Amino acid sequence: MARITAGVATSHVPAIGAAIDLGKTKEPYWQPLFAGYDWSRQWIAEEKPDVVILVYNDHASAFDMKIIPTFAIGCAESFKPADEGWGPRPVPTVQGHPDLAWHIAQSCILDEFDMTIINEMEVDHGLTVPLSLLFGQPDAWPVKVIPLAVNVVTYPPPSGNRCWLLGEAIRRAVESFPGDLKVQVWGTGGMSHQLQGPRAGLINAEWDNRFLDMMSQDSQRLRTIPHIEYLRETGSEGIEMVMWLIMRGALGADVRQLHRHYHVPASNTAVGHLVLEPVA
Amino acid sequence: MSHQDIHSYLAAFDDIPGTRVYTVARARQGYWINQFAMSLMKPENRARWKADEKAYLEGWNLDEDQKAAILARDYNRLLDLGGNIYFLAKIFSTDGLSFLQAVSTMTGMSVEDYQAMMLAGGRSPNGVRSIKEGN
Repeated sequence: MARITAGVATSHVPAIGAAIDLGKTKEPYWQPLFAGYDWSRQWIAEEKPDVVILVYNDHASAFDMKIIPTFAIGCAESFKPADEGWGPRPVPTVQGHPDLAWHIAQSCILDEFDMTIINEMEVDHGLTVPLSLLFGQPDAWPVKVIPLAVNVVTYPPPSGNRCWLLGEAIRRAVESFPGDLKVQVWGTGGMSHQLQGPRAGLINAEWDNRFLDMMSQDSQRLRTIPHIEYLRETGSEGIEMVMWLIMRGALGADVRQLHRHYHVPASNTAVGHLVLEPVA
Repeated sequence: MSHQDIHSYLAAFDDIPGTRVYTVARARQGYWINQFAMSLMKPENRARWKADEKAYLEGWNLDEDQKAAILARDYNRLLDLGGNIYFLAKIFSTDGLSFLQAVSTMTGMSVEDYQAMMLAGGRSPNGVRSIKEGN
């Protein structure tokens, strides 16, 4: 039986990708940020998951305004890094897991989630930066990846509760997949940041840390946070944290926190990172 | 979960100081600003844009206000006219600016002051949560 063995949450700031690609990770500005991922890189090298279901948002790369899917699942064999305006990141092509991805799509649709199925897509920093943070700069990614893109740009994005429920449906889908696979679910984006308007640069470390607490304790409260609270308290792009709830919902009622890291700033952003394990 | 009233959901967004939430009203108004910006993902379009910005804009269904705001790189105005920051990023990336450099232009701060604010922990949420509540 395929099973979900862990959840990872991490921010996916584009400047982090540039810092890795340009060899700047030891510079004083970046060192404290990357140090917080040392434990996780070692952990995942030992864990060796077979598949990562990577929840992220596309930043006007694969999807423009023509089509706005709320939940889109990548079912292709592979996904090339997108050219976001300055050439594609020098990272390996992402290898998918079409059998599991199609299985999740059909299982979630039967479970009353209207998934958009994507068979050709390029993936932007939202997906590749988390892979770089956990795996460094290998010649090939040591894991298959199922991209799960969530609309958190055009309002309304899905509610936190809807994201949580999708996570539960993904868990049911994974557990009904024949074959022995170790699957992780990653929720990416966030934490507090605002990239637009006169209020740009907002950081709310207190709120972010309470959210990190709630991921492992009192997690049911996470489901009830309304969009307006994310917007007021964590900036307009802090809404990306709803994507963490898909990961959290997929892990089940109780989790153990294996690792936690929080750092300000990375460019305009607060960076949060968690590694969680389901408690059977 | 109780059902959300769409009107109160949307009205609350107008109560956040210095923030333009990308609602469907803005998405509709700014459709062509964003699609124009998206076109700059292609190197051949970036070359044409750089060669003659005004001529490039003629190919898009934009009104004079929108064109002027694009040419002036007036990002707050572009947000008001329906631009979205992830799309507008294609314009400032083509200009060779980072997010931090471009975003600071919307705040009335210099790039240096904005960067110093971020290094010191960012902008505090105190006083900028709600216009009505003044908190």
